[in-house]
Amino acid sequence: MKRSLTVCPYCGVGCTFYLVSNDGRLVGVEPSTTSPVNRGGLCVKGWNAYAFVHHPDRLTTPLVRRDGVLHPASWDEALNLVVERLQAVQATHGKDAVMFASSAKATNEENYLLMKLARAVFGTNNIDHCARLCHSSTVTGLAETFGSGAMTNSISCFDQTDVILIIGSNTTEQHPLIGSRILNAVQSGTHLIVADNRRIRLARHAALHLRHKNGSDVALLNGMMHVIIAEGLADQEFIADRTENYAALAASVADWTPERTAAATGLAAAEVVAAARLYAGAERAMIVYSMGITQHSHGVDNVRCIASLAMLTGNVGRPGTGVNPLRGQNNVQGGCDMGALPDLFSGYQKVADPLVRGKFAHTWGVSSLPSEPGLPLTRAMDAASEGCLHGMFIMGENPMLSDPDQGHARTVLENLELLVVQDIFLTETAAIADIVLPAACFAEKEGTFTNTERRVQRLHKAVEPPGQARADWEIICALAERAGYGGMRYTSPEEIMAEAASLTPIYGGIAYGRLDRHGLQWPCPDKTHPGTPIMHQDRFTRGLGYFTPVAHRLSAELPDAEYPFVLTTGRTYFHWHTGSMTRRTHLLDREEPRSFIELNPDDAARLGIRHRDMVLVSSRRGEITTEARVTGMVIAGVLFMPFHFAEGAANALTNNALDPESSIPEFKVCAVRLEKMP
Amino acid sequence: MKMLHPDQLDRFFASLAPTWELRLPILLPDGTRVIGCPNDAPHSLHGAPVAGKPTAAFFPQQSTLFTVTDGAIEEPPPADRPLFIVGFHPRDLACLRFIDRFFADGCRDDCYFRVRHGAAIGGLSGYCGPAGSLIPPAGGDCDVEFFWDRSSWLVIAYSATGNTLIADLPETAAPEAAELFPQLAAELPDENELLIRHASALLRANRVPDLFWADIGDRCIACTGCNLACPTCTCFGVQDWRSAQKTERSRMWDSCQLDGFMREAGGHNPLGSEAERTRRRIHHKLAADPEKWGEISCFLCGRCDSVCPTGIGIISVAREMVARFA
Amino acid sequence: MTATPGHTSLYLPIGCEIISVSDLTPGEKLFRIRRADGVPLGHLPGQFVQVSLLGWGEAPISVASSPTREGFFELGVRRAGTLTGAMHALKAGDTLGIRGPFGRAFDLSRLRGQNLILISGGCGLAPMRSLIQYCEDRPAEFGSIAILYGAKSPADRLFKDELAVWEASARFACSMTVDNISVGDCFSGSVGLITALIPPLAFNPDSTIAAIVGPPAMYRAVIAELHKKGLPSERIIVSLERQMRCGVGKCGHCSIEHLLCCQDGPVFWLNEIEHLRGAL
Repeated sequence: MKRSLTVCPYCGVGCTFYLVSNDGRLVGVEPSTTSPVNRGGLCVKGWNAYAFVHHPDRLTTPLVRRDGVLHPASWDEALNLVVERLQAVQATHGKDAVMFASSAKATNEENYLLMKLARAVFGTNNIDHCARLCHSSTVTGLAETFGSGAMTNSISCFDQTDVILIIGSNTTEQHPLIGSRILNAVQSGTHLIVADNRRIRLARHAALHLRHKNGSDVALLNGMMHVIIAEGLADQEFIADRTENYAALAASVADWTPERTAAATGLAAAEVVAAARLYAGAERAMIVYSMGITQHSHGVDNVRCIASLAMLTGNVGRPGTGVNPLRGQNNVQGGCDMGALPDLFSGYQKVADPLVRGKFAHTWGVSSLPSEPGLPLTRAMDAASEGCLHGMFIMGENPMLSDPDQGHARTVLENLELLVVQDIFLTETAAIADIVLPAACFAEKEGTFTNTERRVQRLHKAVEPPGQARADWEIICALAERAGYGGMRYTSPEEIMAEAASLTPIYGGIAYGRLDRHGLQWPCPDKTHPGTPIMHQDRFTRGLGYFTPVAHRLSAELPDAEYPFVLTTGRTYFHWHTGSMTRRTHLLDREEPRSFIELNPDDAARLGIRHRDMVLVSSRRGEITTEARVTGMVIAGVLFMPFHFAEGAANALTNNALDPESSIPEFKVCAVRLEKMP
Repeated sequence: MKMLHPDQLDRFFASLAPTWELRLPILLPDGTRVIGCPNDAPHSLHGAPVAGKPTAAFFPQQSTLFTVTDGAIEEPPPADRPLFIVGFHPRDLACLRFIDRFFADGCRDDCYFRVRHGAAIGGLSGYCGPAGSLIPPAGGDCDVEFFWDRSSWLVIAYSATGNTLIADLPETAAPEAAELFPQLAAELPDENELLIRHASALLRANRVPDLFWADIGDRCIACTGCNLACPTCTCFGVQDWRSAQKTERSRMWDSCQLDGFMREAGGHNPLGSEAERTRRRIHHKLAADPEKWGEISCFLCGRCDSVCPTGIGIISVAREMVARFA
Repeated sequence: MTATPGHTSLYLPIGCEIISVSDLTPGEKLFRIRRADGVPLGHLPGQFVQVSLLGWGEAPISVASSPTREGFFELGVRRAGTLTGAMHALKAGDTLGIRGPFGRAFDLSRLRGQNLILISGGCGLAPMRSLIQYCEDRPAEFGSIAILYGAKSPADRLFKDELAVWEASARFACSMTVDNISVGDCFSGSVGLITALIPPLAFNPDSTIAAIVGPPAMYRAVIAELHKKGLPSERIIVSLERQMRCGVGKCGHCSIEHLLCCQDGPVFWLNEIEHLRGAL
């Protein structure tokens, strides 16, 4: 019997638990009772996080496609082939004809290495990861307004606040151990404002539940700011001392009267006023948001408005306040921190900056590094169909299910000259790859994850990987070696982190020896720094906070006579993303065994659809069949669907309309038609 | 009466190693205390009840029922040495007694007894509670009890196995504490005990309306931790894993807080709402089990209350129930 | 799959062989099975077995045949999930695993000498068939026997050939109904809910026992009609369906308050469970 302290592989909350193993096999999970994050509790996914690890479907050997079929191959053969073929694609089409997709499921060290492999070994900035699909709007929007695109406060702040505005986050389902803190806070008297037209669990506990129209967040937030300014509720001292460009903001919201806001959002004017007064009237108020804000063609604008609302009321830089984007994946914060982004090295250092490039090139022992920002992941499919991209190396992602407009994604991936997938299961994407590399899962390796409150925490290996599977970092190092690069010889992830920390000022003080117990929150610039639970306390990272006025823009695709419903997509509590792990976990798959679509009872009655009937859902991009769930969770005219399921895949319908600045797809709004299956 | 000084503990436990597979409370690196192997971390006999089901050694979160390779069925092999598990507080011992009876009743669960049979149980009591507080002695329900009298462990055997376990310990003059056992136990009126009996009575008298369960259910995120931490929760699910070489059937802890727990293939679900499921969780311990087994099956170990992220463990719910409906 | 001789483990299935498979409806099949070791199943009418398909799991299925029919037992299986889906692909000569029989059977000692009303809906006829066949084979043990059966449509009726035999038999008084009938259906019964079949029955409540097996929605309505006719709950038997995972009283999935459907049921006297939440 052995116990290994590690970090949950699901959401960004970063709960820690012990994996219990017996004779090399996992037999259960025990939460850490001292973790400041989860305080002895876990959600249902965490309690079951051991259960997929030894599943017989795990990849145990490299696979190489011959005559159209994937065959087992030796590591030697597979690794050589990956390098040869990547180099061949580059030789024919240029360095930037290949793209590396890193993974928010992999460790910081592995993200750092894949970024290094792309830039130092293959000479391209075409590296990105699924943060593009979840919080790229946050990274862009908060970098502009605050200077840093991360959650400003800590999870413990939920215990110390008076009002929480939750907008576009189904917190109890998607960040359950933060959602439960919010539930506790309500029991102790904190007031909730839930702005989300789904009747999520937190809405049952809310002082105000605003069911505004999908895509009308800018209007709602501008309207609230109008009321706050008009009623003299703004924090003039904070505005004067800590911010700039206030006058422009005030002018831009001047005509967002409650009446105009009501018309744009579908709310009553009184609701807008009440929300503004409740939020602005609190001594300490937090804003929590997630993909309901970011996944829009105006996602960055949404984030700017949130930042402005917080600054307008002085709710930044103190306990129990702040702008708190909840990061989706267990290590999506770390993936961004480690520079798995096309325009940034680790620590958000710009590739365009020659001094930064020089620093990285020197440490990495290369003469130069590419200076032009690379392709964002969401533009990769288009780039490939336009003939600019010919090879992809995908580590631990499943774009066949997670990308918008699945039909397009499939065509592009199938037509690539080279597709390499490194994963733990034969995902839908791995199944069409030319070469598949078997990876170790979270329980089988060392490393660190960074949670949503910027806490860097360690994983400890509990069991051996199955068969010949290897940790991602080991595979990346082996690839570098075969590509003739001698600068990736590490004996452990600890050495990798030491190198990353030396190049990354916000991680400067991160070292394995300091992470025992409960990790450290960045910014942590040096080895004596205690970490930073609350950012922007005395000054914003950029100096003064910047108010950006924002105009309301409509979603890219609106319902019309042909496609009369708004479809919004998301996840369920029991599954994780494309389900490669949770659908192989008995209890979780039993809870939600199949694809479904939520439909308001009024719409259902009008269309003659009953609960559990099979329905055909179609958009301009595709059609699927799924099961109707008739529920008051959604308002009339809006449908909700989770994207976990390969059979009945929501992303066959979604629209790859991108935010012009963050390149995030508009997963939250597209137009569809719904019919009862004959 | 036998006695162990703290500095003799390691030697005593080491002396059992050839015959017994020892498990005892250990202090893990982050400060979590669990029952584990003595070699994994320093032992930690003082403090609150350990985290996790103390009964997990016999009924682990996941266990193999059998494997089939080329048509031949194989059950997990028996352990080479019996377990000796130290660390059960008296309330944990009551839980163990309850599930021993449950697994033995009617069809005897051989998967449980494969490990349980022959295992020895060590109780912990005395002034070894949180901050030196007194844990009243169990006075039975185990093979051997270790009672901390603030300077050393009084060791009392209650079974032949217990006598064998401590045979080599030197005999000491019986200190007074041993005679104080019944008195010590009686001196501690336990508020939670009164509370849970009161809540049970309210439930059995049908005094708790459905609205109450809807209220509590609204605060449940279905993490299932209450069931997974509860030493008297015994529900399990079953899964098959099939590979080219073999098929494995295993069982894992299940939870009545999940919609799928009783949902039938056709969609019918006798526990189809959060309110129904929340009611079942409490009602089962406080009303159904007393009906079936003659006793409340919550022994107030407090684990579901510690593990619940939203503060609706059984003691909290009982408190709210009594406050609202008594 | 071979069961090692001498195994007594609660969770090890016993190897069985499929003798024949026949279609009952488009979604339901009847499997005739025997234990590979030749030992009779040893069940009583109303009991169930846990059927195992390795790699697919286990499911509780009521035995559809009477122990008076020797040399085999039969299971009527509706395709509903992955396991039953896999079962539907099996054919004669294939093997599967069985544990059981489990659960409380119809109380034959109390049924003997009584007039019986046997009411089933949908695939509830499968478990009821074990009792009907028993009555067919031991006609002298019971008084009058009425068989009431309701299905969605004529095509959805199970055991159509046997239904015809029972209808023709002087031993049984059969009433059939379906929810819907389409043009061209050959069906002589009525159209409507099964509850409509009860008011016309003439019986003495003091010497009659009714048994009900059917979909969850059926019980309350049928019981109400029987109560109206003066039949007390002490003379009504219900057989309940639950998602048992173990069949031996351990897994907890089939609990009804303090009772377990797999041990205390699946056959209950109505007065034992009518006051229990979630029973019906």
